[in-house]
Amino acid sequence: MSATTIGQVLATDLRPATPHLFHFWTGADSGAGIGTIVRVEAEGRVVFGVVTEAFAWSDLARPLDAVIAADGDPSRAGEAPTDRPTIRLWTAAVLRQLPEEPVQPVPFGPVTLASDADVRLALRMEGYAEGDDPRGLALGLYAAGGTGSPVWLDADFLLGPEAAHLNITGVSGLATKTSAVTFMLSSIFQQLPPSRGSVAAICFNVKGPDLCFLDQPAPLGEGDLALWRRLGLTPTPFTDMTLYAPYKPDGVNLNTLRSHPALTDRVEPLVWGLREILDYAEVVLNRDDVDAKAGALLDFLGERVVGRHFEAPELRDAPFAVESFADLDEFFRAIFDYLETRARGAEVWRTHHVATIRKVRNRLGNVATRSHGLVTDDGVASDLPWGAFRDRSVTVVDVAGVDPLAQDLVFARVISRLREHLERRDLGVDQMIVFVDELNKYAATDGPETYVKRMLLDLSERGRYLGLVLFSAQQFRSQVLRRVVGNAGTTVYGRMDSDELALPGYATLPAAVKARLAALPKGELLVRHPHFTQPIFVRFPRPAMLSGREGIERFPATPDLPFEAAVVQRLRRLDLAIAADAIREAIADRPEGEVRRALGAVARERPDDVLSFFRACLRRVIAAEPIAPPRGIAPLSQRDDDPFAPY
Amino acid sequence: MSERWLEGLRRRIRLAGGHPATAVPEASTARGEEPRIRLAEVVEPPLRAIRCAPPTPWEAPVAFLDGVQRTAIVGYAGTEPLLAAEVAAGVRLRVDRQPRSATHLRRRLLLGRAAALARVGALPPTIEAMALPDDGPAHPVADIDAARRAVDDVRGHLERAVAATFRTTHPDAWLLVDGSLTVSPDWARDPRMVGVVKSHTTLPFEAESLEVYLTLPIGHRSSAFRPPTRTVAPVHAFGMRLHDWTGHDLLHGLVRIECAAGPVDTAALDLLAGRLLAERAPLAADPRADRMLYGVHDVERWLRAVR
Repeated sequence: MSATTIGQVLATDLRPATPHLFHFWTGADSGAGIGTIVRVEAEGRVVFGVVTEAFAWSDLARPLDAVIAADGDPSRAGEAPTDRPTIRLWTAAVLRQLPEEPVQPVPFGPVTLASDADVRLALRMEGYAEGDDPRGLALGLYAAGGTGSPVWLDADFLLGPEAAHLNITGVSGLATKTSAVTFMLSSIFQQLPPSRGSVAAICFNVKGPDLCFLDQPAPLGEGDLALWRRLGLTPTPFTDMTLYAPYKPDGVNLNTLRSHPALTDRVEPLVWGLREILDYAEVVLNRDDVDAKAGALLDFLGERVVGRHFEAPELRDAPFAVESFADLDEFFRAIFDYLETRARGAEVWRTHHVATIRKVRNRLGNVATRSHGLVTDDGVASDLPWGAFRDRSVTVVDVAGVDPLAQDLVFARVISRLREHLERRDLGVDQMIVFVDELNKYAATDGPETYVKRMLLDLSERGRYLGLVLFSAQQFRSQVLRRVVGNAGTTVYGRMDSDELALPGYATLPAAVKARLAALPKGELLVRHPHFTQPIFVRFPRPAMLSGREGIERFPATPDLPFEAAVVQRLRRLDLAIAADAIREAIADRPEGEVRRALGAVARERPDDVLSFFRACLRRVIAAEPIAPPRGIAPLSQRDDDPFAPY
Repeated sequence: MSERWLEGLRRRIRLAGGHPATAVPEASTARGEEPRIRLAEVVEPPLRAIRCAPPTPWEAPVAFLDGVQRTAIVGYAGTEPLLAAEVAAGVRLRVDRQPRSATHLRRRLLLGRAAALARVGALPPTIEAMALPDDGPAHPVADIDAARRAVDDVRGHLERAVAATFRTTHPDAWLLVDGSLTVSPDWARDPRMVGVVKSHTTLPFEAESLEVYLTLPIGHRSSAFRPPTRTVAPVHAFGMRLHDWTGHDLLHGLVRIECAAGPVDTAALDLLAGRLLAERAPLAADPRADRMLYGVHDVERWLRAVR
């Protein structure tokens, strides 16, 4: 059945048709709109275009004519017995011409709305979404023409190696950035063909409960379910999800809003020790601090001292075994003692000036203070499953509640480790997607040059060769480092701020597209992808998992438990058979630091007999023995005749 | 012309009881017609200004008829001019406030003396040769005038032809014609045809009666009269002011309405005038918009667009 003609291409000397742009007119009820894909077929050519601008006018020559015709009464303006003729004139940008060569102006032919098949051709999707090597990943439905045609992204251009990375921009709360990314992850997990290898995702949760409930199913309406079905996807949440969160300063309650008792089974602590911090000291120290001298000392500590038996007879006879911040502080104290006493006020120890040593000591000490909960004093670490990431798994790193310094540290270390493992191909998966929200904050155009910024830049520029893919989001694209967003092969816009759209960076978008972006409803996006020669509006379904707001309403965070109760809960989570009283008895009168260490050891080792292992990790208690008062020397018998007798 | 001395003169005229004016409306004189007064018989005495009924759109279907023509000198055979002409006429029927083309005819002509046409030879099938009278000596200016009169005649023929065609399919529709009904006995008899005449080269009254006629206030009509020269196709007519003429010209907004002659029914004439008043809106983008109904403008534009 041939498609209904809705319009006709026209060209005038002021509005000529070109190989990349054409104009057509339609009736008022044509079904065309901004973003609609249309097809022109004439003169042996087929041209697909997307509507980018719309105009309408009547034959009214002067505004005053309307006033005169209505006798100056606006309420009578609609009473004229004849309607003025009006024109709907549309401008369309060419998506594709068939044949592709020679490149010619768009022919003057009839215009029809694009069918499903037309949309596939117009967006060049037939080259990757079907055929011998299908690798299309559903992004959403093209809905502007009323057809609801699926729009696919090319996996090779979203995850690499041809291009990679996805960046999404939009105003907070309305642009559905997080929803879009989680839906896209669902699509990747379900549709990435086995030939493209294994894939997992690490999502940094930087705001409230945003990403805390990705494993919890959301109730979907029939409309959303139909969208999922149309895209060939199953509406399920992520079944393999683990959330990592640092402790709160108390060291037992996790610093996450996913603390409802029903959901704690997939929550793991994220705790790092001195070794983990020292490798990324540059992140936590001000850049100005890390001069050559401080850097040399840090290198010295990292290579010679921490985690090794370091012998320094001038400091003390026994070798140092620095494993924790406490050990390191003891080491520094030994140096200062040596310089002040035995070296008689010397200012240099092993080529390191005392001022440099004091500065490094202060800064590292601050890390433990400001990142309390993430950084442990005792050297016991609970880390991400490096080398053991599972295919189609989602790891959420919840840093929403921690100090910005600690956030930077987490970003830097996680991404650096990812890169190291991917270079060695021993991460556990072939490709890792890293989702970072609030890129305005971490890769801002202005502001100081930070380690995190350099790391994100490196990731965006070289990650695709490793299989490290950055999915990033921000409110204001103009305020993000251009090279970071510019390297995203796929760019998505949700509802945008009008002021932002007025900036020169958006000059390539037609005015009507900008106007639509400024009022885009939730669930609709404008997408740029390497195969699409023009941005396309798509609608995506609501994700199948609870949003942060829904999750926190359904699974309210529990208040912080007292130390004892928190320990009981943590251990019973590993073994429900353990009696709470037995745990209380085991930790009674124990110092909290000791209990935390034991708890950390249990969490790390996951022993079969949790309680016994926990008890074994506690210091041995030597039972108190009643000591009888010394019997002393028996008094001498009183002798009255002895004047020197004591009694 | 807004020069102060002109304004001074206009003020003097106003003070003297006259009617200041600024410009004679375009096309208020008919092509090839000498200005004259032909006294008409008032059939709705006395001659006076009568308030029209309130603007009321037609309930029945309404169509508009108009014709267009275009001539261009295309050469000379010796000294004899050759003119090309394109003439068209059409009817647009208004349905749900939207004009829709009902019928139209178009002719392309090459006009000249027979000898001149013969020298051109065979014409393409879409162009007709039309010979001009060659009973006098060839005079380029006279021949061009003759050609234009011939084109006027062709246009009249086309207009009558499309009206006849339209009537066969729409016998009950009102048909508003741009011009006089007296050119056709069929039109003059048709109770549902109305002629809207923009030109005032021929005026029906003189002296005080003429002042009454030419100073009709907006929304008023004159008493009905029977134009004297239309004995072949007698009609009734009345003057009518569509737009306020104050500050413009006596002829601004003034049209002559023609309809079939018959017993004078003042109420029916008032109602017809009210329906025509409703047709003032929307205002046509045309220099003659003060006297041109939008529907007529629409036909004219359509005929030019589908050329």
